[in-house]
Amino acid sequence: MGLNLTSMIDVVFLLLIYFMVATEFKTAEESSPMDLPAQHDGRSLMFDNEPLVILVESSGDGPHDLRIQLEGPWDDIESVSGLTQFLRANKINEFHVTGLFKDTHPVLVTPTEGARWEHALATYNAVALAQYTNITLAEPVTKPDVLQ
Amino acid sequence: MASRGNPSSTINANMTPMIDVTFLLIVFFVVVSQIVDRDAVSMDLPSPDNAVASVAEMQNRVVVNIVPAGDGEVSHVVVGGHVVSMNALDELTTIVKTRLQGGATEVHLRADRASKYIFIHEVIEAIRKVGTTPRLQLVIDGKQE
Repeated sequence: MGLNLTSMIDVVFLLLIYFMVATEFKTAEESSPMDLPAQHDGRSLMFDNEPLVILVESSGDGPHDLRIQLEGPWDDIESVSGLTQFLRANKINEFHVTGLFKDTHPVLVTPTEGARWEHALATYNAVALAQYTNITLAEPVTKPDVLQ
Repeated sequence: MASRGNPSSTINANMTPMIDVTFLLIVFFVVVSQIVDRDAVSMDLPSPDNAVASVAEMQNRVVVNIVPAGDGEVSHVVVGGHVVSMNALDELTTIVKTRLQGGATEVHLRADRASKYIFIHEVIEAIRKVGTTPRLQLVIDGKQE
């Protein structure tokens, strides 16, 4: 009495296909949510208090080749991780009541006209990583003096 | 043994392999139809470090693809099979509005990592003109852990 291997091979191939497909789904695209305020007849966005403006400029083609400058009397920011650290360090919460910004403080990520999308998005992500909730990708600016 | 000598009674189609193959084909097409995302145009998506993102929802979405033309430039926008010129983004607003009214709940923005922000912002503004407050999802490459 010979063992019939055909059915077993069928089932094994089906399982193989299933796991290949499941693995493919795990590495699918991801997305980062952004609230998009509706436009009101050309009026610019209104902020309750003065927003924190973050200027972004690409200095090369690599993912980390960008320059970040905060508008105002702030020290230079070296990298996107440095920006996250700065924002976390200055956030008001129950452990840090002397912080400068609430997590709802408006943050305006303002790339220059020539900035690469990956650099604008990396900066946006760095602010989101510091758990600020009111982040806006603003209108691009021409290269400001601070980034010359 | 009664059938010996009668050739027609000896022909027995074995159904088992045919059913096996049929099921394999069914599984194949079901899987392929789920994998192939006809909404997405091939491009090099950005992949920020420590991304604050979740796996992109595949249902009830409008996918806006900003097709790169090399050197940071953008050639056109593809949304739901429609090709929209960068000079006619009002058309994009109309298409997105129609899709949102048709049951879509999110707008997914796909853009190449090297595209210049000035073009991306033009498209974001066109989406913003839809009037309601659509939830925009910025699509990134999910391969990086």
